[in-house]
Amino acid sequence: MSLPEAYQKEIEALNQQLLSFNPTDILQFCADHFLQRLASERAAFLASNSSASPRKTSDPPSPSMSNPTFTSPFGSGSNPFGSGNMQNVIEEEDDVVGSPTGPSFGNKATPAFKGPFGAGPFGGDSSSDGPPSAFRSPPNADSYPAQYNFNRRTSVSAESLKPVADTDDNWTPPVHQKTPEQLARLKKAIEGNFLFSHLDEEQNNLILGALQEKPIPAKDIKVITQGDTGDYFYVVEKGKFDVYVHNGPANELGRELGNKVTTIEAGGSFGELALMYNSPRAATVVSAEPGCTLWAVDRTTFRRILMESTFARRRMYEGFLGEVPLLSSLTAWERSKIADALETLKFPAGTIIITEGEPGDSFYLLEEGEAHAFKSGNSNPVMEYKKGDFFGELALLNDAPRAASVIAKTDVKVATLDKLAFQRLLGPVEGIMRRTRYDGVASGVEDVDPLSAPA
Amino acid sequence: MAATLASANPFQPGGGLHPCQLRAQQQAQQQRASQSHLSSSDTNSQPLISSNRKLTLADFRRVRTLGTGTFARVVLVRPATGTESDRQKVYALKILRKTEVIKLRQIDHVRHERAILSDVSGHPFITNLLASFSDTDFLYLLLDYVPGGELFSYLRKWRRFDEDMARFYAAEIVLILEFLHEQQGGVAYRDLKPENLLLDEEGHIKLVDFGFAKRLGNNANEKGNNPVETYTLCGTPEYLAPEVIQNKGHTTAVDWWALGILIYEFLTGYPPFWHQNPIEIYKQIVEKPITFPSDPFLSPEAKDIIKQFCTVDRSRRLGNISGGAAKVKAHPFFRGVDWDAVYHRRDKGPIVPPVRFPGDAQCFDIYPEEDVGRDPYTEEMRDRYDEYFKDF
Repeated sequence: MSLPEAYQKEIEALNQQLLSFNPTDILQFCADHFLQRLASERAAFLASNSSASPRKTSDPPSPSMSNPTFTSPFGSGSNPFGSGNMQNVIEEEDDVVGSPTGPSFGNKATPAFKGPFGAGPFGGDSSSDGPPSAFRSPPNADSYPAQYNFNRRTSVSAESLKPVADTDDNWTPPVHQKTPEQLARLKKAIEGNFLFSHLDEEQNNLILGALQEKPIPAKDIKVITQGDTGDYFYVVEKGKFDVYVHNGPANELGRELGNKVTTIEAGGSFGELALMYNSPRAATVVSAEPGCTLWAVDRTTFRRILMESTFARRRMYEGFLGEVPLLSSLTAWERSKIADALETLKFPAGTIIITEGEPGDSFYLLEEGEAHAFKSGNSNPVMEYKKGDFFGELALLNDAPRAASVIAKTDVKVATLDKLAFQRLLGPVEGIMRRTRYDGVASGVEDVDPLSAPA
Repeated sequence: MAATLASANPFQPGGGLHPCQLRAQQQAQQQRASQSHLSSSDTNSQPLISSNRKLTLADFRRVRTLGTGTFARVVLVRPATGTESDRQKVYALKILRKTEVIKLRQIDHVRHERAILSDVSGHPFITNLLASFSDTDFLYLLLDYVPGGELFSYLRKWRRFDEDMARFYAAEIVLILEFLHEQQGGVAYRDLKPENLLLDEEGHIKLVDFGFAKRLGNNANEKGNNPVETYTLCGTPEYLAPEVIQNKGHTTAVDWWALGILIYEFLTGYPPFWHQNPIEIYKQIVEKPITFPSDPFLSPEAKDIIKQFCTVDRSRRLGNISGGAAKVKAHPFFRGVDWDAVYHRRDKGPIVPPVRFPGDAQCFDIYPEEDVGRDPYTEEMRDRYDEYFKDF
């Protein structure tokens, strides 16, 4: 029997390589050579079938889903031999585990490829190592969440954004006019969405202002297309939209809509993932009737609005904190930690924010509005507070009762932090105070804060 | 462009380095024949990697790909020239395609990666940058080759780890985060997951891929007013911290959250928040308390440390609260851990990868060797962007 022609070709190629490199470690050289050959041969094979390989969705803008996804170099799900889909992995749970990291790991669909060294990827007999002590039997396989995807997970990233304060441009959020009725409808449409529900009123208003009208005059207009790059989030003001998901090979996308999975009506929304990062659309959305109206906002606008407002507020908090004598020795990093933990509260005019005689556990920064401090038996305020002032900070230091009441003069917004949160983050205030010579400052605190009881 | 050497001298022996790496370094430094049977006697050629030598792709022979991404590929390489023993050395070469870096608006991330990697090189559990260089189309990072493959592969094959194994890896990661956050001036890593943890020859962790790492600054003695929080959303969906999802500005605290997710995944085989639709993952992360399966059984200490890391309120999150990493080390989950022994790698890992020779790549999966359908790096792009890559 003669040797196969393909084999002879490989050997000839190897001979050529050997001659040109003249290595001393022949075996190593041959092993490297064939590994390289194998990898490129498999790659060529795959390129011809690439669309069959299931893939996680986080692709960059690309017409074909078969491109490797955006990922960190080790994070790709594009490994041809390891990219078995769920079903394959689950089937394999019954198998005896022969090797922990074989190239064919997790995929029964390519049983022919057992790795370059024969019996198995770890080539039990060709390796001088015994099985590592840890490779006994695996723990019992059971109770995985249904449909859990065992593949490598793709990293995601939004465009890097820097606050205006750090850059030269003069970005301001776009404002598109809306009627009060429209505003009310849009507000209702987004308030239940977890990407919006935690926003404060100011942020919400900026986002609502930035929503831009997109009239969809006719039926059967594709608003978003599965697999396409996604930049916009949409709210439906008027009309109906059908949602289709196509589960076939990626290269059929665009030709077929796939199955209709749901209909979105007025007050609904879609495309929210695009507000986080650029990822291919998971479905196609088509207008189901003429005369529809959508409102849209893009990721960069959304993220910039939130970033600018958060950034400004944090700098404000840090500035306020810098004014508190008790906290004057905090580093920028520590002030930032405190700013993380500050909680915003609003009080209507006339509300008692803290009550004289009660134990103090929280400290307040006045963000907006004005407040007064009163002491019992004295109808005139003993202190007036405006934006940037603070009160109750001695609560961070001791449990002494409040020395005065503070009442909101106007509607106020305060940022507050309780003693326990402060201590969890930075330890006892006493320790912070000890960093700087604090002699004499005690009385300074008294001067600033009428709420402190005389020591 | 001249090859720039990592600021920490990569050829400095010691520093808790792996004997295998030490060996490679000694070879480079002293140019003597190693005791390996692979090497023959040496002559007096220049070392491949030195600060006064310009590296190019032609200095390397590609063995095979170890991992791929959209704009990056990591390739196992050997020196193309030099003595026979030079040519037996192996390195991991990370190749980044400029066009894709620009298109995906990842220029800042790539620059941070280069800068931070060179700052943190030499830590026992972090991949070691040897040099960087560039040519017309690509940027290159030359790294020590870590032969054991991804912890991800072992975890999936094993389904899950028992608590002793999980503790072993978690302890090494705690030391990494302590180093990055507290000794390196507030470096947030931002992409912790089993896929980014390699095992070296003795089964110790090497953290790779600093593509999302960012220096935020936390010097406790520094009273400047530079913001320390950052806003760019990045990471891996299942591992994102709630403050990242909600755009609140985030800090190094995100890495402690991710460590909680990681320990959970080690112990159960899957992450606590998962759904086929990423939006549902994010909703769960923000709204849903972490729950544990009845099987496998998790010890109260394990559950507690996971819950303490995965706490939405950053004023309560372990690692971020007063005491920092020291408080993490004192948690009952790590009771009995000799942290000095961990740092000095006194024990072999619970999984010792079957690495048979220094350039053995059998622990890595096979990837396609060719890129397809790439856009060219045009002259306009070069004129506009090449200055951003000048540190390579």
